[in-house]
Amino acid sequence: MSQDLIIGIAGAGGDGVVSAGESLITAAALEGYHGIMTKSFGSQIRGGEASCRVRLATEPVFNPNGPLDVAVALNWEDFRRFGSELPVESATIVIYDSNTGVAPDKLPLDGVTPRVVFSVPITEMAQQHAGTEMAKNVVVIGLLAGWFGIGRESMPAGIRKKFAKKGAAVVEGNARAFQAGLDFAAAHPLSQEHQLAAPHTGRKAKLLTDGNDMCAAAAIFAGCTFFSGYPITPSTEIMQFLDREIWKYGGTVLQAEDEIAGIGAVVGASFAGKKALTATSGPGMSLKTEMLGLASIAELPLVCVNVQRGGPSTGMPTKAEQADLFQAAFSAHGDCLRPILAPMSVGDMFGAIVDAFNLAEEFQTPVIVLSDQEISQRKETVEPIDTSAFRLVERKRPTEGDLAQYARFKLTESGISPISHPGMIGGNYLASGIEHNELGRPTASGAMHARMNEKRFRKFNPLQNRRDLFLVEGDPDAPVGLVSWGSVAGVAREALRLARAEGLQVKLLVPKLLYPVAEPVYRDFFASVRCGLFIEQSYQGQLYRLVRMFVDLPALVEPFARSGSNPFQPVEVLERLRKLAPPLHGNGDRHPAEKVAD
Amino acid sequence: MTALEPIAVDKPQAGNFKSDLKPIWCAGCGDYGVVTAITRALAAIGRPAHEIAFISGIGCSSRIPGYTTAYGFNTVHGRALPIAQGIKLANPELLVLVASGDGDGFSIGGGHVAHVIRRNIDLTYIVMDNQIYGLTKGQLSPTSQRGRKTATSNFGSLEEPVNPLLYVMGYGASFVAQGTPADMPGLARIIEEGIRFPGFAFINIQSPCVTYGEEDQQLKAQKVRMRSLESIGHDPADRAGATERAREYGTRLYTGILYRNPNPPRTYGQGVIERQQSLQKLAAPRHEILNRFLPGH
Repeated sequence: MSQDLIIGIAGAGGDGVVSAGESLITAAALEGYHGIMTKSFGSQIRGGEASCRVRLATEPVFNPNGPLDVAVALNWEDFRRFGSELPVESATIVIYDSNTGVAPDKLPLDGVTPRVVFSVPITEMAQQHAGTEMAKNVVVIGLLAGWFGIGRESMPAGIRKKFAKKGAAVVEGNARAFQAGLDFAAAHPLSQEHQLAAPHTGRKAKLLTDGNDMCAAAAIFAGCTFFSGYPITPSTEIMQFLDREIWKYGGTVLQAEDEIAGIGAVVGASFAGKKALTATSGPGMSLKTEMLGLASIAELPLVCVNVQRGGPSTGMPTKAEQADLFQAAFSAHGDCLRPILAPMSVGDMFGAIVDAFNLAEEFQTPVIVLSDQEISQRKETVEPIDTSAFRLVERKRPTEGDLAQYARFKLTESGISPISHPGMIGGNYLASGIEHNELGRPTASGAMHARMNEKRFRKFNPLQNRRDLFLVEGDPDAPVGLVSWGSVAGVAREALRLARAEGLQVKLLVPKLLYPVAEPVYRDFFASVRCGLFIEQSYQGQLYRLVRMFVDLPALVEPFARSGSNPFQPVEVLERLRKLAPPLHGNGDRHPAEKVAD
Repeated sequence: MTALEPIAVDKPQAGNFKSDLKPIWCAGCGDYGVVTAITRALAAIGRPAHEIAFISGIGCSSRIPGYTTAYGFNTVHGRALPIAQGIKLANPELLVLVASGDGDGFSIGGGHVAHVIRRNIDLTYIVMDNQIYGLTKGQLSPTSQRGRKTATSNFGSLEEPVNPLLYVMGYGASFVAQGTPADMPGLARIIEEGIRFPGFAFINIQSPCVTYGEEDQQLKAQKVRMRSLESIGHDPADRAGATERAREYGTRLYTGILYRNPNPPRTYGQGVIERQQSLQKLAAPRHEILNRFLPGH
């Protein structure tokens, strides 16, 4: 039986390709499987081609990429438009609509000859059983349920629920179309080995969502009651989710007139004492930087999510890239530090947002969360999260004693000064972007500026030892070290799994706290390392360069970095690891992979 | 039976709202009069200083929050309004004042004015309009007259000035007034009226720059030129008449309330509170928020 199945489906916009993928992953989540689904569209706002990839597995999976185990083409023209996003190999099972008129031995697949091909009259089946071509996607999920054993029970219920509003005739038609798919699969059996085995972690249902919705839900959990932002791909769903929900919690969403006003309102809400969030993507981030500087000097907590896309400028709005790290680290002018967090998956987004609010409140600072287009838009199964394990931090309020002689920017030992807010008697002060003394009064004193700068950096010292914000996997004393972050860390985790299965001694560091660079954590990690890779989706390899500003890395650690819209595959990381071999396998041993090649 | 002594009420005085911070302004600057008028208006309103948030941008005028005892926020150039909106929406109980200059309000931050008006956020926006950039030492401002010679228009300005009164009338502001420190009681009164108005209130103040301003803009000249709108029989409820008077900005110096909507529209904040109250009952406990991601939920 199969443990891991990657299904790619492509068709014309309106064929319901994404809806079919969602049905599959929903059924999988209900049945306790692990899964990731990504979708991709042509650049048209409506219509055009659409595709999705659904990876279903019996164990946790961290990345949606890799060659397809199953390819479904509703028409070949649209399928081929997705090129390397839907790679077909000879082992791929190909299912296509016979309505395309293409012969099974003449598939337009550039030299690849799949061993198993099903030409299925999908369009005719939809018309015959549901009376409409619109049911093609329902036939497809019936076929997949039949052949691979997913959702045979749950999908009919899902179909009934989905079409309930359209009346009994539509419900029954779609139910028949689904059954026709099942029947076709039963009449053309596929060998048992392709059926997905039972999930190893049990049949308990998993959560299913994408990074943007998870971000918004986490913000509500963290106590956020104010959001303001401006629509921008691929972050807009965060505002949309919060607009549906935040009012119920006494909160407000303000769609601002521009990106600057969006973060401006958030700075204001924070000054008024509320936990506040804004979200954007690269171009918006460029506009928000002045406000980040203001919030830093006024020491106001806020969380700013940047769902990274390809840049610079408008760049590639619907493609993932990790090229905004420098911008986040060095946003706004002047000597300043703002913590940066990066989730590596949809599930990880929850903790990243809670951590971001906690750091913002504790250190009275803007915190930047670097998500990316892939995490934000992909649907992923998530093990149910025990929210009681998360502690929520509130900003340090002045005591009555503090208020008797209130100094908003008091130079304390920790560098953190109790913060009041309008409405608090005796806490009146002037917040300002201009340098100020302990009382908040404007100053032009160089000595005071130096002391305030020192305070605003010193308060972050505890972040050097927040080891809970780092993931370390693999052999602790391995001579080979991988570092990766964000969605690409999922590829690195799978590459690590493959490498260790081959007997390579490798370990992986995934920083969720990207900045400030936690020097002791990197020093400890690299103590045993002789060579390694920083795997990043940016031309420059920005984390590699940023870490080197603070930590001396072993000379043989190098970036494995490239521009976005060209995702890494675990297998290619593995190949790079094999090439690093000679110095790694001391004692003159040869690399295990080379022995295999003999 | 002895008559009860009336209970002494600590009526706030203007002095309660003045901080002991010494202004950086030049001697004779119109802004001294503005801070006095604001503190007098606040005393008349009677809200305690800790319930007042006073937000400003950048410029000579924007130093003003620090000269009061309110919670102040001296922000960045042109962005006082968005920040003030966040404060007001986050805590609708606060009395929110915003101060800008003509450059802050109608040049770098001009884009925000239309939106705060159409949202009708309940705050009072005070612009100290001196037709010059004073803090940076005398450059052309968006309200400088065409032909004006400044440090950056050595041969005379080639552009028409913004008309702040017409600008806000055009976007539908419900309360529009103009004053000058040359008429201190009048100025304090329109600020007080603006604060009392339930919704967005705009107050343009002809506050002269003593260093870079021209002779005919100074308080002495203003005292001769200014005309009270009341004295010419203007009805503040007359929107068309108000628009006509607003067109005379730059040629005539009117003081008083130009327009006050007799039927103040709903504020954004009222809408927010109603929505929060009506949706409150639908809230799942925060710690159960993730349950919605269970398939079939």
